[in-house]
Order: sequence, then structure tokens, then C-alpha cells
Amino acid sequence: MSAVDALPAIASRNRFFDALAPGGRRALFVLGIIGVCLLFAFPVFWLVLTSLRPGYAVYYVHRGTDFTLDNFHEVLSQEIVLRALWNSLAISTLATVLSLGVTVTSGYMLSRFRGPIPNLWFSAIYVFRCVPYVSWVLPLYFVTRALGIFDTYWGLLLPHVAVHICFFSWIMKGFFDGIDPSMEYAAMIDGCSRWGAFLRVALPAAIPGLTALAILCWLYTWNEFLFALILTAQKTPILTVVMAQFVHELGMEWHLMSATAVLSLGPALIVTIFGQKYVIRGLKI
Amino acid sequence: MPQRSLPRIDEKKRFMLALIAPAVTVLIAFQILPILIGANASFRDWHLHDPKRTWIGFTNYAYVLRDNEFLTIVLPNTFGFMLASVGTSLILGLAIALLLNRKFAGRWLVQTIILLPLMVAPVIAAIMIRWMFNDQFGIVNVVLGVFGVPQIAWLTQKWTAFLAMLLTDVWLWTPWFALLLLAGLQSLPSEPFEAAQIDAASAWRTFRYITLPMLRPVIVVCVVIRAIDAFRTFDIVWTISGGGPARATEVFSIYAYVEAFQFLNFGRGSAAAVIGALIIVVFAMALYRLLNRWVEVSR
Repeated sequence: MSAVDALPAIASRNRFFDALAPGGRRALFVLGIIGVCLLFAFPVFWLVLTSLRPGYAVYYVHRGTDFTLDNFHEVLSQEIVLRALWNSLAISTLATVLSLGVTVTSGYMLSRFRGPIPNLWFSAIYVFRCVPYVSWVLPLYFVTRALGIFDTYWGLLLPHVAVHICFFSWIMKGFFDGIDPSMEYAAMIDGCSRWGAFLRVALPAAIPGLTALAILCWLYTWNEFLFALILTAQKTPILTVVMAQFVHELGMEWHLMSATAVLSLGPALIVTIFGQKYVIRGLKI
Repeated sequence: MPQRSLPRIDEKKRFMLALIAPAVTVLIAFQILPILIGANASFRDWHLHDPKRTWIGFTNYAYVLRDNEFLTIVLPNTFGFMLASVGTSLILGLAIALLLNRKFAGRWLVQTIILLPLMVAPVIAAIMIRWMFNDQFGIVNVVLGVFGVPQIAWLTQKWTAFLAMLLTDVWLWTPWFALLLLAGLQSLPSEPFEAAQIDAASAWRTFRYITLPMLRPVIVVCVVIRAIDAFRTFDIVWTISGGGPARATEVFSIYAYVEAFQFLNFGRGSAAAVIGALIIVVFAMALYRLLNRWVEVSR
């Protein structure tokens, strides 16, 4: 058996490290952690560094020592950036609330019932989850135009909710699968209605999962680009689109793009720092 | 027995339908309807500047399926990108999740740093990578220059551009894998690990025979979700290489987008999108079945 063969090899490897240095394994562990951190932090570090450079020094990466906060000042004095910041905050928060509200019931239904209706709904979710964005983002533009909600909050919110329905229903089903339904049956025997059993017994038990999903949903909407690009115009600027435009249309203004990107990193950082604990605790698929 | 009028939907069914009603409504209006509009367009000679929209049957499909570009470049690129990206980020994510599952000083800080990519918009990450791999001013060439390596035009050659795309995708999604796998790891019961410790099982064997089998359901869900997303990647590829040089790094979303918006042939773009959607639906079903069976067997 291969497992038995592997055993002496591991033992000798352990001896090898111990012979190399008494703290060899420990040092290797620390080095590994530092390496991984560097790898993940570097592009962000570079973004922050670029945002602190004056426009003329951006290109001279290796020699410039000029640093300035002017980029932030310039970016924040542009009205469109402030509006985009506010819109992105509002859209992300509203989309999170709406998506969770719509999918929590759908996930509960998928978890608690068997039969043709749940099966059909589950297959629909699975199939529509696979459809690539490019095949519906342009027709979506026609639809929001026809409904008269193009370039408004609703015109971006509802498509975002639609994107989340498939994935979230699936994950929510997993949350409710992990909760024992006998408590709900007990509540129903004691006179609770089906809605009462769902709202008062199942929903509170699913709160950790909901919190985790809310955080991921918020971050996803905050960072989303393609829908924001196609479904909004002048009236409702969105931060990701505004950022990308610094590099596309007005020439290559790397320093301003970076400054805006660093600003957009702020709220996301706050959400992640306070939320990671809940995400790890709540996300059990 | 109480009499029941036949056409009435019973109380349980009504409850079920009420639970999914909001989700179904939004899904129909903002996903299914647009998809049907796109599917309808795929059977027509629908140019964005031409209002006639003549019905031409499967001509668009025939064109895409006979297009050498689609068969020999786009499809291999798409599947290659998917396999390489999902495989690499799964392995890295698993390693990081195992690392973070231990207790050590400063773990919280390390965890926050590793989660950084989740906070960066993919389009910004892609712009940043393009900037870092810029052939004249990019930091990568500057650093390589210190070691005497001549300037490399990363984004104008097929394989280096592909590598930059892959790097971005792996950078963006490894933390996502790590997060979900870490959540999975922390929800595992501790008894099997204690038993393994008592039996003096080595770290590798504990991982191979206890951690991995118990983690498999989480891995399956992660891989299926990510594989579907990687198949339809758009913004990273569009920002970094735009499908270039000369359409050499085009993936399937870019192909559909270019047909629809640059050649302004919305019908043909839609046909490409429908073909891609069918491929990924079948692929995802097969993958889900296969991985599920693998989980069952290993239990």
C-alpha cells in the first residue's frame, strides 16, 4: 500500500529538518506565512503607493521619492466621485438586504420540502446559475429601458438581486439543511402557523449563515463592474465604473485611479475586518 | 373525511409557492426574460444598427460552430483558463486554510492580509496587474531588469498575457477558496483528529485520510461554483489583454462580446452566448455528478 510506503519517507524528512536546525520547521512555517502575506499584499501595496505619487512621478517607479496626498484631494473634489461613492454604498447595502430577503425564503423552501415543485425550482436555479453574463446583460439593458428604470437605483438593484438568487438559494438551502427541523414541528404542534415556525424558529437559527452571506454579498456588489457599466449612465454613477474611466477615457491617470481605488478599499476593509469572524463561523456549506 | 374541492391548491403548496414567489418573480423578469430575448436574437440577422431583424434560423449557430477561431482558440483557452485557475486556487486556498486553522500569534493580521483580494474590485485588480506588467514602466520588468533580464513585452505575447490573466484570477479567488475551506475546517468534529493523534498518525496521513475526506463536500461545492464562474470570466480578460494579441487569448465571453459589440452583430453574439451557456450547463451537471459520486465513494 502506498500509505505504508510513505511512512518512512516522512520520518526521514522530519529528521532532515531537525538536523538542519532545531527550529527548522518553525522557521519554515514563519517564512511561509511571510511569503504568502507578501504575495497577497503586494498588488494592494503597489496600489496604495501609486495613489501617493504625484502624476509625473508615477512612471519612474524605481527612483521617485516624491509622495503627496494631492491625488486624494483632487479626486474628492470631483463631484462625480462623491456621488459614485454614495451610490455604491447605497446600492451595495440595499442589494444585500433585498437579496437576502428574497433568497432566505427560497432556500428554506428548497431545504424543507420534497416533490416536483422544489425539484423544478432547484433545477432552474442550477441551470440559470450557469448562464454567462454576456448573454443577458445586453437584453437586460432593453428590459430596464422598457420598464423605465434604466440608470436608476432599481434598474441596478433588481438585476443584482437576480444574479444572487441562484447562488444564494443554493447556499441558504445548505444553512437550513444543517438546522434540525424538529423544533419547527414542535412549534407547529404548539399552534404556530407555518409562517410562524419559519419566522420565529428557523430564521433565528440561520442568523450566523445569513450574516456571513450578507458580508460576501455586500463585498461582491461593491466590487461589481459589468452590470454597473452597462446598466447605469450619467444619473447614477457607480464607483467601479468611475475608477475604470480614469484609465480608459481621460488618458492614463494611474495616480487618480489608484487614489479612488484606495478610497473604495476603505469601506470594504472595514466590512472585512469586522466581518471575517462571522463569515468563517457562519459559512458552512 | 372532510371534503376538499379539487382545483384548490392545498395549504402546504400555497406556503411553498409563497416562499419562492419573490425570487421567482425577480428571476423571471431580470434573468429569464433577458435570456429569452437573447435566444430570440440568436435566430435573427440582428445587427445593432439594422432594424430589420430577419429570421434566419440556425445560420448564426452554424457560423459559430464552423468558426475556426471559436473551435481552435476560444474553446481551448476557456477550458484551459478554467482548469488552471480553479486547480491552482483550490490547492493554494487549501494550503492557506490549513495554515490559518492553526493557532499562532498574529493570525488575525495574517488572515486580514490574505483576505485583501476579496476587497479589491476585480476590474481594479486587473488594471493594477496590467500596470505592473507594463513593458516599459511596470514594476515586474523593473525588478527583472535589476537581475539583468531584458524587458519582456508581457501583454503582447500569447502565453505571457495568458499567464498574467491566470495570475490575476488566482490572486483574486484564492482567498475565497481559503475562506470557505477554513469555515469548513472549523466546523469539522474534533474527535477523529484526537483519535489520530493518539494513534500517532503523521500530519500528512491525518490530512490525507481524515481532513481531506471530511472536507470533500465543501470542496465539491467550491469547485463547481468557481468552475462555472471561471468559464464565464469577462472583466479580467477584457481589461488585461482584451482578448489580444490578435484574438489569441480570447475566452468565450470575450468572443460573444466582440461579435455583438465590436462587429455589431448581436444575433451572432447571442448565438455564441447560447452555445457557451449550453456547454457550461452540460459541463457543470457532469462535474457535479462526477464529484458527488467521488464523495459518496470516499465515504
